[in-house]
Amino acid sequence: MAITAAPDAPVAPPRKRPQRARARRRNTLIAWSFILPNFIGFGSLTLVPIIVLFYMSFTNWNVFGKADWVGLANFERLLGDGSFQIAFGNTLYYSALHIPLTILVSLTLALLLNNKLRGVAFFRTAAFFPYITSIVAIAVVWNLMFSPDYGPINEILRFVGFAEPPGWLTSADWAMPAVVIVSTWRDMGYYMILFLAGLQTVPRELHEAARVDGAGVIQRFFNVTLPCLRPTMFFVTVILTINSFKIFDLILVMTEGGPGQSTLVLSQFIYRKGFEESQFGYASAASVALFFLCITVTVAQFLWNKRRSA
Amino acid sequence: MKRNIAAAVGLALAASLTLASCSGGTTETPDGPVTLSLSGWSIDTTPEFQVLADGFEAKYPDVTVELKEYDAGEYNTLLTADLAAGSGPDIITQKEVKYVPTLQEGGQLLDVSDVELPDGIGGASSYIVDGVSYAVPYRQDSWVLYYNMDLFDQAGVDYPDGSWTWDDYADAAAEVTDGLAGAAKGAYLHRWQSTTQGFANAQAPNADILSGDFGHFAGYYENVLALQDAGSQVDFNTSSANQLSYQGEFGTQKAAMLPMGTWYVATLIAQQESGDADDFAWGIAPAPQFSSSTTGTDKTPVTFGDPTGFGINANIDEGKIQAAKDFLAYAASEEAAQALAAIGITPALTNDAVVETYFAVAGAPTDELSKFTYAEHDTKPENPTSNQAAIVQGILGDMHSAIMSESEAIDSAIENAEKRAENEADLN
Repeated sequence: MAITAAPDAPVAPPRKRPQRARARRRNTLIAWSFILPNFIGFGSLTLVPIIVLFYMSFTNWNVFGKADWVGLANFERLLGDGSFQIAFGNTLYYSALHIPLTILVSLTLALLLNNKLRGVAFFRTAAFFPYITSIVAIAVVWNLMFSPDYGPINEILRFVGFAEPPGWLTSADWAMPAVVIVSTWRDMGYYMILFLAGLQTVPRELHEAARVDGAGVIQRFFNVTLPCLRPTMFFVTVILTINSFKIFDLILVMTEGGPGQSTLVLSQFIYRKGFEESQFGYASAASVALFFLCITVTVAQFLWNKRRSA
Repeated sequence: MKRNIAAAVGLALAASLTLASCSGGTTETPDGPVTLSLSGWSIDTTPEFQVLADGFEAKYPDVTVELKEYDAGEYNTLLTADLAAGSGPDIITQKEVKYVPTLQEGGQLLDVSDVELPDGIGGASSYIVDGVSYAVPYRQDSWVLYYNMDLFDQAGVDYPDGSWTWDDYADAAAEVTDGLAGAAKGAYLHRWQSTTQGFANAQAPNADILSGDFGHFAGYYENVLALQDAGSQVDFNTSSANQLSYQGEFGTQKAAMLPMGTWYVATLIAQQESGDADDFAWGIAPAPQFSSSTTGTDKTPVTFGDPTGFGINANIDEGKIQAAKDFLAYAASEEAAQALAAIGITPALTNDAVVETYFAVAGAPTDELSKFTYAEHDTKPENPTSNQAAIVQGILGDMHSAIMSESEAIDSAIENAEKRAENEADLN
């Protein structure tokens, strides 16, 4: 005896909605379980402190006790603070030297090491090595190399005919270029890897087509390689700009801002005001200024990139 | 950096809010056993904390002193974070006087004016703010002149005799350098700003860095630059580039004289014993003076140095206050001074008995001038007790590197520092 369902009987539609809702809820929970561990860390160690930082910049907090609201007083003081202006100018000066030089050196290295040469892996590793070397070791060795009287750099300069080579880290005029040389040397390997990755995305056919059309090496670089590298170049420029604005470690171990204030940068100014002079409210205001400097330049870079892509 | 500061500020705030409610709940009875925590640094190589804790525990069996170790380089920052979070030690060691105003203004230090101090103790005034004492000194190093007798003999130059002004010092440095014919320099001046500015602040008439007038540094810097230009000492730039250490320069006989604090006595003895320093005869002489009015062993030479002291956490449990004050009184006492002198530490209290104990240590110099130097001096504070001291010292540090590297002329650097002090600090 066959059992037949009534032709108009519904095919279990009432069960479908709760099932879907349950699945969605489960998916949501799974998603949260992936996100939360990271978000808790991010929230408690980055987001909340940044929000607190903004609040602190409007107070005169000195670590202990209550933070008194002082409105815009810290920012007004920043505008009239000669040391802040020097630190701001030095940060821009450092960035203006460091960003183009690092791009130039790391892109050149990437182009050189993108060829199938013997020992290319060794040279790539060697170029990356400074990036993973201890910053203190770098500072000590470069300090010796820059020694005005006995350092090998000035020995070579004297040998090739410079009677009075620069004083490097002991000269107010040359200390910043010396720091830029070291930081470029340290960073070049990292950005070289990024450019190398970018170079792998350049279609070989384009190069071949250009070669068939009679384009030389330089023409192919400017008309094929460079346009294809634009996304990588944009990424490198943004990261390099932010990293240059917040340069701190190298300056602290190499010059401590000296001689005088010739290499004082914003991050070190913040460190001094906060941790050495216990003016955390004022240091927070300087941090906010640095934050807005980074944001403004980054947004400008995004807008420029968008306009060029359009 | 921005993120680091933000994180530190945020954590300190969050921790202070949550922990503030936790602290203060546990009070021990004054009669029962009491445990005091005491902050210190590099406890393995800085035995003074354990020596004082042991001596105090022997005298007060009901009290246990637990040492709380902090990183020596980040001591003030880490201690500040602990105090802000309400988890600071009961007894706060004051490593540097310039941080005392921050702690005092932040309400972190208890009034300890009622702790009785022995007569003749030095450095107590550095802890007084508006007539109230916030800490008690137990150690006070002062700056003296170390000299290598063997190198002086080799050069055929007379030893320092306590009668030197800075001009005499410069002459002797030049003579020793010439006499040694390149084997060693006459003197070594370390890179710290204290090495020049500390003496200028202590000795030059009416010197006061909080006045914003830094003219008194000019003469001292002229002397120092003349010494390095004449080749009588390694120049600042070479010292920086090669990261020279004063222990290496004097201990391995690369320089015949070294202005340095008395803490180096214990280090030099230990290094000569371990072989890290050469074996040579040495002594200490009074620091060269501004003028002949304070030279000679019948006068009291003027030098500088900051004390190291103990304060009490203002948030300490009521029941522990008396024990903590007893500890402070003990640390300043002659008994503690003897114990400290026996391990080569310069106590804040010096008298004949302490001097005898100090120089009885094997390897210590035995000449009378060294004993006079150790016992007799007018030690002025290196840092004024003011909340502006750290700001002004920062400005003067920049001035020091500009002058010593010879990247800026003395007068211009001083003028620049004076302008900055007027602009950045809240001066008298």
